[in-house]
Amino acid sequence: MLRLALKGARANLGRLILTLLSVVLGVAFVSGSFVLADSLRSIFDQVSEDAFAGVDAQVRAVGNDLNSSNAEVPRFSDEYISSIADLPEAKYAEGGIFAFERAYTVDANGEVVRPTGPPVFTGSWSGPSPVSSFRIIDGEAPVGQQVAIDPIQAERGGFTVGEPVTVSLPSGELETYTLSGTIDFGEGGTGGAFFILFDLPTTQHVLELEGLVDSIVVAAADGVSPETLVAAIAPVLPDDLEAVTGAVVIGEQKEDFGTFINIFGNILLGFAIVVLFVSTFIINNTFATLVGQRTRQYGLMRSIGASGKQIMQMVFLEAGAVGFAASGIGLVGGFGVAAGLKKLFSTAGGEFPEGPLEIRLRTLIVVVVVGMGVSLASAVVPALRAARVAPLEAFRTGGQPVRPLKVRIAFGSAVLIPGIALLCWGMFGDPGGTSATLSAIGFGGALTFIGVSMLSAMFAGAVASVIGAPVARLRGVTGQIAQGNARRNPKRTSSTVTALMIGLALISGVAVLTRSILDSFDEFLSESISADLFVFESNQNLEFSGALVDKLQTLPEVDQVAGFSPLEVRVDGDQVRATGFDSVTGTSVVNMGITEGTAAIGTKGLAVLDTTATELGLNLGDTVTVEFEDGFTTDLTIQGIFDDRSVIDADWLFDRGLTREHRITDAITFAGITFTPGTDPAVARAAVERVTGSFPQLAVQDNTEFKQQAEDQIAQLQIVISGLLVLCLVVAFFGIVNTMVLSVLERTREIGLLRAVGMTRRQLQSSVRWEAAIISVFGALLGVVLGVILGWASVIAISDSFISKTGIPWGQLVTFVIVGGILGVVAAWFPARRAARLDVLEAISTD
Amino acid sequence: MSTSQESVLPAARLVDGVKTYGSGDAAVTALDNVSVDFQPARFTAIMGPSGSGKSTLMHCIAGLDSLTSGDAYIGETRLGDLKDRKLTELRRTEVGFIFQAFNLVPTLTAEENIVLPLMLGGRKGDREWIDNVIDTVGLRDRLTHRPSELSGGQQQRVAVARALASRPTIIFADEPTGNLDSNSGSEVLAFMRRAVDEFGQSIVMVTHDASAASNAHRVLFLNDGHIVHDMSDPTADRILDTMKSIGS
Repeated sequence: MLRLALKGARANLGRLILTLLSVVLGVAFVSGSFVLADSLRSIFDQVSEDAFAGVDAQVRAVGNDLNSSNAEVPRFSDEYISSIADLPEAKYAEGGIFAFERAYTVDANGEVVRPTGPPVFTGSWSGPSPVSSFRIIDGEAPVGQQVAIDPIQAERGGFTVGEPVTVSLPSGELETYTLSGTIDFGEGGTGGAFFILFDLPTTQHVLELEGLVDSIVVAAADGVSPETLVAAIAPVLPDDLEAVTGAVVIGEQKEDFGTFINIFGNILLGFAIVVLFVSTFIINNTFATLVGQRTRQYGLMRSIGASGKQIMQMVFLEAGAVGFAASGIGLVGGFGVAAGLKKLFSTAGGEFPEGPLEIRLRTLIVVVVVGMGVSLASAVVPALRAARVAPLEAFRTGGQPVRPLKVRIAFGSAVLIPGIALLCWGMFGDPGGTSATLSAIGFGGALTFIGVSMLSAMFAGAVASVIGAPVARLRGVTGQIAQGNARRNPKRTSSTVTALMIGLALISGVAVLTRSILDSFDEFLSESISADLFVFESNQNLEFSGALVDKLQTLPEVDQVAGFSPLEVRVDGDQVRATGFDSVTGTSVVNMGITEGTAAIGTKGLAVLDTTATELGLNLGDTVTVEFEDGFTTDLTIQGIFDDRSVIDADWLFDRGLTREHRITDAITFAGITFTPGTDPAVARAAVERVTGSFPQLAVQDNTEFKQQAEDQIAQLQIVISGLLVLCLVVAFFGIVNTMVLSVLERTREIGLLRAVGMTRRQLQSSVRWEAAIISVFGALLGVVLGVILGWASVIAISDSFISKTGIPWGQLVTFVIVGGILGVVAAWFPARRAARLDVLEAISTD
Repeated sequence: MSTSQESVLPAARLVDGVKTYGSGDAAVTALDNVSVDFQPARFTAIMGPSGSGKSTLMHCIAGLDSLTSGDAYIGETRLGDLKDRKLTELRRTEVGFIFQAFNLVPTLTAEENIVLPLMLGGRKGDREWIDNVIDTVGLRDRLTHRPSELSGGQQQRVAVARALASRPTIIFADEPTGNLDSNSGSEVLAFMRRAVDEFGQSIVMVTHDASAASNAHRVLFLNDGHIVHDMSDPTADRILDTMKSIGS
């Protein structure tokens, strides 16, 4: 039986190879996701261990577990360094402070030296020590008026060890330091980031954080365990500081990286599953057609004594062979995928550290199970059908009777209805938890696609006729024949284009969602922002010096300036999401969404979000107790209540006049500017840019530019997502090639006839290609329509102030349909050529 | 034997036609130096036992197969000189075909099938003539039907109409009644004969059915790649007698 099955497989090698390829793609993607995630995990585990290799204990503010993205963490006094260092259990203690995008080196031409993408890190370093992860490459550690930087930055800026380096400070001032040496981090590589290191006092001065540190790292005295060390440090610390062992820190860091890598890996896996899902349709279609073509052969085998079960086993064996081969190739291909993705993300700026790709036994097992599983599952229906072939079929002549659609419609509906229900439940209902929601959407989506695919056979013929009508009109009889063939076997048409339909449905869905976000954003901007210009940190929206607001305010071209600064405050004892803003000018640059009271809250008042107020039972005029970062505590009156139309994403608003006094640094993340009426915007802008010129990290944009930037970012995301989904189209391509080859083969005799009565090779090729084009356009249209529905449903499901309207990207959708048609034409190239090369006489005398 | 007037150009002819399949020891000679003329406005039947070379003879003259040596002509055109494209055009314009089965394109209607060769050439054809043909074969009320909706006899009548529609130099029919019951068969043969008698069409028909062949003006008998007998104004009985003599 095995040999018979393998012979069957060999006889249809070309077709099975195409099928194989479609499985390989999905499997390779699955394997690639695992390989990449596993490799990254190992690499980052190593990075975490390297970074804290000599650290036995770390002292930090309670609640600061290092995963803060902008490193604006609660800081504390450096006075504890010496008290910890004095402990007999400690051999060495070092305080550290760092921040991103605050200081920069400036080259001889006055240009700031910055990497594109990765951030610039400014931090303290006391030189090589048991707890340090920086290494000297050249020169010495920085002391006093000295600075150490990474070699790439040194090369880019043309800096030499021993020579002066100009450093641009957060305030915009320039200061000169001497380059003491070049350094790198851990086992080498800085991930593209630039480093600027000083000793602790100088760093505190540069960052305007005098007397403060982020953390203190401690090495234990000989023979003292980290636990003992931590226990010894604890009594020295106040309540809001804690000491943890190095192992805890490493564990936390690994976990943080791990979470990120898991999300990343799961997203990739999600795409892989979509591709695999799509390829099941191709496998199913291939086996269904093969079984159909072999009906006579199976009938013959049945009549000479093979049991139905044996026939079924043959089909399964063949499918299993395809799955096994695909798993093997896919596993190897996974390395390529992983390497490719790594490269892709590196070029996109998010450089991954170097490290080997690794394959785990788990990956191997999953890949084989998935590859075999997908193939076997797709062959179930064809195998059952093969088993039911009656011995009498051996003697039937002519083509296969076309099975009525009834069963298919019943099945399709039985799958579609629960599919849609599940999908809606996932999108609009509350299945409880993210994974439940994703599962509901995933399974619901899969069932919906299967259902639509099955039901589309109902109208595939009619729609193909309509799409083909202009072809028939324009291309004469070749078009007419193409149209006729396209609508000839609706079941095959619908299963052929399913992969294309799903791929384009997802791509169009993403396109609709993207357009909706952009349209909503557009509307939001025009409603909410009245500023002529904004200023913000261009890399990651980090903080910058609030002194800028005062400088801008002195410009005659500027009418109003308002700065916005994130706050660490406690209201009635609870940590809250709060922002400080210039309450006098704030409303003139942005919509504060004030519903009651005033935005001009002043230094004795505050404003609160309406839902928070309701929750806490607070009203206008009520008083709350507020504790600021520096410990200053005061009672403030609620002067205003705002709703979620506010641009500011916070629950509490304070006047910046008050908050700048009680923040450790006067830093802001955003400033809005309006021009003095009657001023030429270009002149005003030039004046503003002269002021911001000394802050290289800042971007100055008007509404249009801001919108454009957001659009570019979202478009880029759309491209990445669609790029991954394009794999579905590749699978779809294989599917179309496969079907067209099968169709040509089945129609050999008809092709012979056409050639005999005078159809030229060229006409025949053109007719096959048009047929594929019509089929593909049908699939593409179906996909785009489904995509619009999905996108629209997503907009409703996500709906909050962020997405307020549905936008349809007509241009893109039309392009998708055209692309679908072209895909079909290209896919038909080989089958068409094959058809044209058939020998007329042989073709006409085929059974 | 053949009463060929030198002034009349044959519709098709074969000169010293040799067709060999395979090579070396396995070589089979299907046509062994055959020369034959097919006169215009004549209905010729080709008969012979299986493997006698009758189908090969027809395929080679019709431009579906190529000769190993010798020349085949349709009208004045020598087929051996033509590339596939020209040959295809020749089949479209100068030759009509009626096959035993699977004569029609299933996705086209009866009428579209009839004008298919014309459409492939981007021609409208002579509408009056086509209407005439359609009425002659009695298909007026079946024009919009697809082949699957037609009986076997009707399908073959459509095939006859298609062969006639472009007024080709010559029509080749390969067992055109082989799949039909005797009533439908005689009907189809009657139409073919009318086409020759009334419209002056030339037809060559390969068959092994003596009564079918008796509709022809002339019957050629083939055996082992040779023309062994050339009979004019045949009757079914004479044909059967000749067949017997060849078979023994």
